[in-house]
Amino acid sequence: MMAAVFATLLLAFILDQVGLSRLAVSCLLLSLALGVGLFLWEVYSPDYGFRMPWLQL
Amino acid sequence: MTIRGSSITATLDRLILLAMLAIVAAILTAAMAMQYALGEIPCPLCLLQRAAMFGCCFGLILQLRLRGSERGTGLALVFALLLLVISVRQTLLDIYPRPGHDYIGSAVFGLHLPVWSAIIAVALLLGLAVRLALFGGGPVTKSGDDELPRALVQPLVIYVVAICAINFLSVLAQCGLGQCHTFGYRLIQ
Repeated sequence: MMAAVFATLLLAFILDQVGLSRLAVSCLLLSLALGVGLFLWEVYSPDYGFRMPWLQL
Repeated sequence: MTIRGSSITATLDRLILLAMLAIVAAILTAAMAMQYALGEIPCPLCLLQRAAMFGCCFGLILQLRLRGSERGTGLALVFALLLLVISVRQTLLDIYPRPGHDYIGSAVFGLHLPVWSAIIAVALLLGLAVRLALFGGGPVTKSGDDELPRALVQPLVIYVVAICAINFLSVLAQCGLGQCHTFGYRLIQ
């Protein structure tokens, strides 16, 4: 999954450099979506969910 | 404002964008130096923070080329916000000492890297906001008037693309196509 985030990022840079701006921005947005999904997956805990009970607010 | 005045303003605007791009590229280079020279393997959230910084770089590069549109700034702002969310969440995960939850990597000037990331994200958001406040929606200059020398911009752009490629290969070596760990490089073991 992390490899996919960086692959789409790299593809976005390359497409932008060869002049395919719209396709590059689409790749960047795909990378953003993958990154947000991976972030939520990484911070989710089976015990606490998305909460952080060790912090007192 | 005269045509000459608006051209100088637009050139200054592009110089600020270029400086921001150079600073983010330098930060990414420092992170890679810590990884390869000091052997500090990045955690998954650290890698996501790098990806967010590359997203900011993309927005800045796009904005350097655009006239009469702030699409690049918008993209850079979205990724700066993502960087802030990830770095603050990681800081809050590790801020209270618990078994198995320590800051990964060594501290730089007394602050750990996720804390630096949060500071960098705030600086980026502030920088982009100030830039928009000063230069956003200004007069569109005649095409080419405000162009920075290609020799100044293109090497930096190529450098950013190159370090993105190195990071992609590094992620492949560390994580393969699966989950990332900080134990070592999966493909090298």
